[in-house]
Amino acid sequence: MARRTPRGQLIAVDGGGPAVAAAARHLARVLRSRNGDGGISSWNSSGIFTELAAAEPGVSGPSARTLALLYAADLAFRIRWQIRPAIEAGQWVVAVPYVETIKALGMAAGLPRRWLVELFRFVPKADICYHATDKSRHGNAAKGGLTDSFLSALAASGDSMDPAQLRKRSMEYLTSLERRGRIRRLPPGVRSVRL
Amino acid sequence: MGERGLQRWRELLKRRDETRGLLVAFEGPDGSGKSTQRKLFKTWLKSEGLPVATTKWNSSPLVKPLVKVRKQIRALSPEEFCLLHAADFRHRVETEVLPALWQGTTVIADRYLFTGLARDAARGLPFDWLLRVYEPILWPDQVFYFSVSPDTSGMRISATRQPKYYEAGQDITDLDDPLASYRQFIARVIREYESLALAFRFITIDAERSIAEQHREIREHFQRLERRSWPDWNLEPVADWLARQTAAGYRPPAAR
Repeated sequence: MARRTPRGQLIAVDGGGPAVAAAARHLARVLRSRNGDGGISSWNSSGIFTELAAAEPGVSGPSARTLALLYAADLAFRIRWQIRPAIEAGQWVVAVPYVETIKALGMAAGLPRRWLVELFRFVPKADICYHATDKSRHGNAAKGGLTDSFLSALAASGDSMDPAQLRKRSMEYLTSLERRGRIRRLPPGVRSVRL
Repeated sequence: MGERGLQRWRELLKRRDETRGLLVAFEGPDGSGKSTQRKLFKTWLKSEGLPVATTKWNSSPLVKPLVKVRKQIRALSPEEFCLLHAADFRHRVETEVLPALWQGTTVIADRYLFTGLARDAARGLPFDWLLRVYEPILWPDQVFYFSVSPDTSGMRISATRQPKYYEAGQDITDLDDPLASYRQFIARVIREYESLALAFRFITIDAERSIAEQHREIREHFQRLERRSWPDWNLEPVADWLARQTAAGYRPPAAR
């Protein structure tokens, strides 16, 4: 009799600081040692944002709404090639970031929450959502996370939004999700995480 | 945007409403002859002394290169196809269409968001989600739908070229023959277009008639076009755009 592969686990790691990718890598190391095979699905796996940064000089940059659409396209790519195959093979996958970071950035830039929720309706629900912050001690992560990319793209569009304000507002949204129990703080050192 | 904010933009838009340009969309399946009609229409408007600009589907200098490379390697799922075209559309609305309309230029769209809706719905994506993706929708003043049968569309296309992979819908039909796939796919697209034409009251042009007859009919409809008020009708997308322009330092003349 064929054994049915147990469904894998989707773990979202969202957050606004550059330490998020390092936190996800650390979490993945812990998961690998405990649960076996799995992997990380990082934003820009499709290369959309790299190509965007290399746009011809003089081309108007994207607005926050266009960026959210492009992030959704990148996420659709990750779901098709990385996330769904891992889950169906019974493996774990850490998605960094998933949907809450872009919602936080989008809302901080003035996009309606309702629109963002509907836009990302096509994504599978994560089994666990973590919030990693700059305050966590996960080593020195390189710059260049989604937040930085979002901010520089907005600056290229001539948007006058204050980057510090945008970071602060998006962080407030993620913290409010934490308070409501919708997302958990990723503990420093990760070892205490229960899956 | 709150009600107070909207009220402020409503007043500004009202002052601009008389001088804004008109947005006219040309829609229809491949091979319906809409590009020919669009060119004739543009020439006529220019001869009438109107400033005119054209915007074409999938032509944003920012997003088009991303789409092109992914189409070449046939790497797009229906969701990615939809979202990238929606990003291209949004970028053009914000950087080409709205600035031109605001300056009083009439904009002719050679395909508008209805192309995305018809093709993506034909690919099996839920229609209510597609409408959300394209929000806030800048509704055109007039939409001409060039109606042809799937057979006519197939014949006209095959007479000049072989349809490309996504144009033929081979990503969803799984057929190896592009033309056979095109015939199957375009029938679905036309069904979606016909539903849209009813729901959104397009002006349907029988595109199986002569070029001259169609052009005459388009002129007559355009001359009868009644200007609808932007503040009542397109407040959200225009206010959204204007708010960002203002924040970036643009001072609308009417606001001084």
